[in-house]
Amino acid sequence: MATIRAYHRPATIEDALALISHTDVDATILAGGTVVNALPEEEPVEVVDLQAIGLDTMEPAGDRLRIGAMVRLQAIVDSDLVPALLRDLARREAPSTLRNAATLGGTVAAAEPESELLAGLLAFDATVSVVQLIGSDDIPLADLLLDRSQLGLGIITGITIAVGGDAAAERTGRTPADRPIVMAVGRRAQDGSLRLAVTGVDTTPVLVDAAALPDLDPPADFRGSSAYRRELATVLASRVMRRLGEPA
Amino acid sequence: MKITLTLNGIERTFACEPHETLKTVLRREGYYSVRFGSETGETGAAALLLDGRLVSAEILLAAQADGHTVDTVEGLAPGRGLDPIQEAFVVTGAIQSGYSTPAMILGAKALLERNPEPTEEQVRDMLTGILDRETGYVRPVQAVLRAAAVLRGEEVEPVEAWLIPALTGPEAAGPADLATPLEGVPQAAARVIPSPEVPETNVVGKPERKVDAIKLAKGRPAFTDDIEMRGMLYAKMLYSPHAHARIVAIDDSQARALPGVHAVLHHENVERVRYASGGQSYPNPPPYDQVSFDDKVRYVGDRVAVVAADSLEIAEAAVALIDVTYDVLPAVFDELEAISGDAPVIHDEADMEGAHDAGRNIVHHMEAEVGDVEAGFARADHVFERTYRVHQVQQCPIEPHIAIAYLDSDERLVIRTSTQVPFHVRRMVAPLLGIPVKDIRVIKPRIGGGFGAKQEMLIEDVVGHLALVTGRPVRLELTRAEEFMSSRTRHPQTITYKTGVNNDGVLVSQSMRIVGNTGPYATHALTVQQVSGLRGLSSYNSPNKRFDCDVAYTNIPVPGAYRGYGAPQALFALESHMEDIALELGMDALEFRRLNWTKVGDPLDIATRLGEGAADLEVVPVITSSGLEECVAQGERAIGWHRRSDPAWVSPPDRPHIRRGIGFAMCMHGTAIPGLDMGAASIKINDDGSFNLLIGATDLGTGADTVLAQIAAEVLGVTISDILVYAADTDMTPFDVGAYASSTTYISGMAVKRAAEEARRQITERAALMLDLDSPGEVDLADRRAWAADGRSLGLDEIALHSLHQDQQHQIMATASYVSPESPPPYAAQFAEVEVDIETGQVTVIALVMAVDCGVPINPITSAGQVEGGMIQALGYGHCEEMAYDDLGRMVNPRFGPYKIYRSDEMPRIEAYLVQTMEKSGPFGAKAIAEIPKDGVAPAIRNAIGNATGAWIDQIPFTPERVWRALHPG
Repeated sequence: MATIRAYHRPATIEDALALISHTDVDATILAGGTVVNALPEEEPVEVVDLQAIGLDTMEPAGDRLRIGAMVRLQAIVDSDLVPALLRDLARREAPSTLRNAATLGGTVAAAEPESELLAGLLAFDATVSVVQLIGSDDIPLADLLLDRSQLGLGIITGITIAVGGDAAAERTGRTPADRPIVMAVGRRAQDGSLRLAVTGVDTTPVLVDAAALPDLDPPADFRGSSAYRRELATVLASRVMRRLGEPA
Repeated sequence: MKITLTLNGIERTFACEPHETLKTVLRREGYYSVRFGSETGETGAAALLLDGRLVSAEILLAAQADGHTVDTVEGLAPGRGLDPIQEAFVVTGAIQSGYSTPAMILGAKALLERNPEPTEEQVRDMLTGILDRETGYVRPVQAVLRAAAVLRGEEVEPVEAWLIPALTGPEAAGPADLATPLEGVPQAAARVIPSPEVPETNVVGKPERKVDAIKLAKGRPAFTDDIEMRGMLYAKMLYSPHAHARIVAIDDSQARALPGVHAVLHHENVERVRYASGGQSYPNPPPYDQVSFDDKVRYVGDRVAVVAADSLEIAEAAVALIDVTYDVLPAVFDELEAISGDAPVIHDEADMEGAHDAGRNIVHHMEAEVGDVEAGFARADHVFERTYRVHQVQQCPIEPHIAIAYLDSDERLVIRTSTQVPFHVRRMVAPLLGIPVKDIRVIKPRIGGGFGAKQEMLIEDVVGHLALVTGRPVRLELTRAEEFMSSRTRHPQTITYKTGVNNDGVLVSQSMRIVGNTGPYATHALTVQQVSGLRGLSSYNSPNKRFDCDVAYTNIPVPGAYRGYGAPQALFALESHMEDIALELGMDALEFRRLNWTKVGDPLDIATRLGEGAADLEVVPVITSSGLEECVAQGERAIGWHRRSDPAWVSPPDRPHIRRGIGFAMCMHGTAIPGLDMGAASIKINDDGSFNLLIGATDLGTGADTVLAQIAAEVLGVTISDILVYAADTDMTPFDVGAYASSTTYISGMAVKRAAEEARRQITERAALMLDLDSPGEVDLADRRAWAADGRSLGLDEIALHSLHQDQQHQIMATASYVSPESPPPYAAQFAEVEVDIETGQVTVIALVMAVDCGVPINPITSAGQVEGGMIQALGYGHCEEMAYDDLGRMVNPRFGPYKIYRSDEMPRIEAYLVQTMEKSGPFGAKAIAEIPKDGVAPAIRNAIGNATGAWIDQIPFTPERVWRALHPG
């Protein structure tokens, strides 16, 4: 557990922004706490708990769906508004006890390299709403994962995703519920465009172009060498494409 | 800061620090049902309800819960008695150690409040947050479904043994149809194949409730840490960051100067006393290659120093202030490299003695031969040779090692510890602490799983030293990462089999060479490797046999005892090798084995040479009971064995990248260590005709206390509720070696039976006196009464009152002990069904079926639970668990998740069958059951993968890349 020196529970987003912008305090945002509270000993921090400022609803936004940053993963699993594939990926993201605490905003902020849910969000063309002390931004998730400094001293308020279309996911893991060594997820939008995302081949889940898969140079670990991960990405992506009616 | 909670319906305000978790705060306030499992929350031992949602309180700040509603299991049924969910957990046998039971019960409560009619899938999803190392989830799932039915007001069937007719032997009704599955067996029932040789009993053989069910279902303070001690200090160890290094200097001045620090111990201020840490009988097998703190470290995670301070935070801060200068040495991790003669010497200290060849890192060398193996090879029609490798895994009890030591009012040292071996700990820790055994008392409360990891004197010397130095109570609990790296693990081995066999399939000669890897300390090295040899060479008959073994010192975290104890390693190699030979000979895999496996009347000749530390046996043991044929038949039917030879099933046309297969492994284990293991029991009557049963045996969640109470109740003609079990406390109970070697039911059970028989004799004598009978032999005990042949009877309460208060007063009581000259093997047939993705190498285990001959199961429900849970641990061993290291010997995955153990929503179909045989030497016919479920899963999966794909893989675990490389060589 990180060394937490003080706990804050601001009532408004403005208060939260003021707390984390305070120059003499190293502040960490606490959403569900399942990542922050599980971190090993680090430098002392103050935590800013967002539980009192709302951000926990889901609502259609035009032809897309906006999910508040503080919506818990279990609420996504349970929601009829969310595409079935993403509901399943939210279920796979964490066991029940953690799903009941972890939030979507926290999942995006933590950017864990093997997150199936993040890969799913990439495939569903997610954009991340971030408010700063001055102004706010909608940042494509793919951009944010490439450069997380874009978050700055801002707070993620919500994630907007596409809905509809067809989606499919394929994975290889040691056991059925294991975090996959490599996972591929694809979505064909109503306009026929296809987005394909993969985990286990880079430091974050990434959007990929199927043709470029053989050129990947994935980082290895004890569960999979670089060459094996590249092979898995190719095999799993082609299965996803086949399921979406693409020539593999 | 202060927080206010609505806790179990009452508004409560607590003081806490911003960094404290809700688990920490609630435990401080006495809510002991919220338990530690890991710092990262995924074990769920600390799960509770926050606003009705099941969350892990280990990773929830107390501050986050401020203003919310919190429910713990203490809030259910606060008076006497059980809530319906708790009741369902008790009757289905869902509780083994009970450490995480409160979390499961709360999860069930939340689920059933939202959804009164959950599907099995929904129940399994709820349980994903609570890792269970004990039950295989079979019974917890059934418990929740049963509770749901009860809460809906439905009638539910009793949970009991489901009797299945035998398929083989004289009782079988004609030729067996093994292709039609058995239907209609309730999931929570124990599947029992009865034997006509087994006499009728009243308590034995029945699905009795566990005697510790109340405290476990209600989350009562029952475990080591569930105690409040004023002035307690918290200990924290400093562990080595290097795999091999000399400590050149150690400066503890800054640590000592930190306010709140009471002691800092290391090699410069703790006496150097050599010992072996394995919890074994006196004298512990040499070498004594450990000291409490050394000036050399030999693996990443080895002890360097320890701090005791007013709080854990201060102790952690002090540990960081200890300045150690290391001279880092080259390290060796592989057992073959370590003994090559060209490796760094791990034990080069001047006072090292007792190793076979410390200069070559060979701690033990063993040879044993029966007949003439080389002549046998020369004579055989075929000789096959193949090498297999098994890796390192950890026991992963959800409760890690924890001990609390303090001085009592007589200044005796009391050590309250989560151990399987309280009496061994007391004897072994005394010389390290420099105080006599009589000044030490070891108490074993409930244990949250052990599986062999706690058959060690692992941390008791550390808390003992600190309590003696400070005069204060001292607590040391390992973190999850420390439990992985600094406790004990399973020995890796390289095993080479060479087998001579004739054209007709009969074995002529067999040799087994093992190079075992014991890390830097021998602890259980001798005996684990002996068991590998014994199991590996006595499961099948061969007139000529040879065992040849070297055990290597290396710089990996220390292997020790792990449920199965050498047998899982040996049987992976043996049952792979036997499959390979059958394939080469073109014989049926079952028929080839059947031709050669040991049967009733066969001698276990090599057993006389591999005595597990006991004096070598003088008489060659002979098999006296075996239900193996019946086990195989039941397993064949349950798994659907006939499908494996159907090409359309193996290669389903609609799933082109999938291959299916079924594999088999035969298992044979031991029952206790003959001539060595001793258990004892005392029994005494109370005024009301109930009995106290005092035992040194150590129930680590298996249900041993219950089984022993059943044995006593059977003898004394009472119900199990009349037997009050107390265990284990070195001041209060007779000696017992402890829980290991599959011995408790057989050895301690026989001690209980003998003590109960002597108490029974005294009762009948008293009854004869009261009824004016000539001989106590005319008296029978039944239904809590003593009956004369003429129909007159006395209640046991009347007899107790008469004996204690009225005439010729005498305390009816007895003590007995037992040691066995024999070790009758249980047998089992293990089957596995798998699917292999031939493009990715991913193996999915679809079903595991094990049929076990454990003699007479004393309690069919707890016995079934042992098999179900044991198979799932064994599944982890064969399929997905591994301790992984970087080049410097640092474990890279000391956390659940990266270290993968199975969870509730990914389980294969699991079925356990209990095939009765009447083992005359055991209590009421019992043999062992605890360890044999660990033995056959890995080779059965291996053989199933081979059946599916034609790839026969010689190394576990069957992780995707290993299988993919076997399928795509080059």
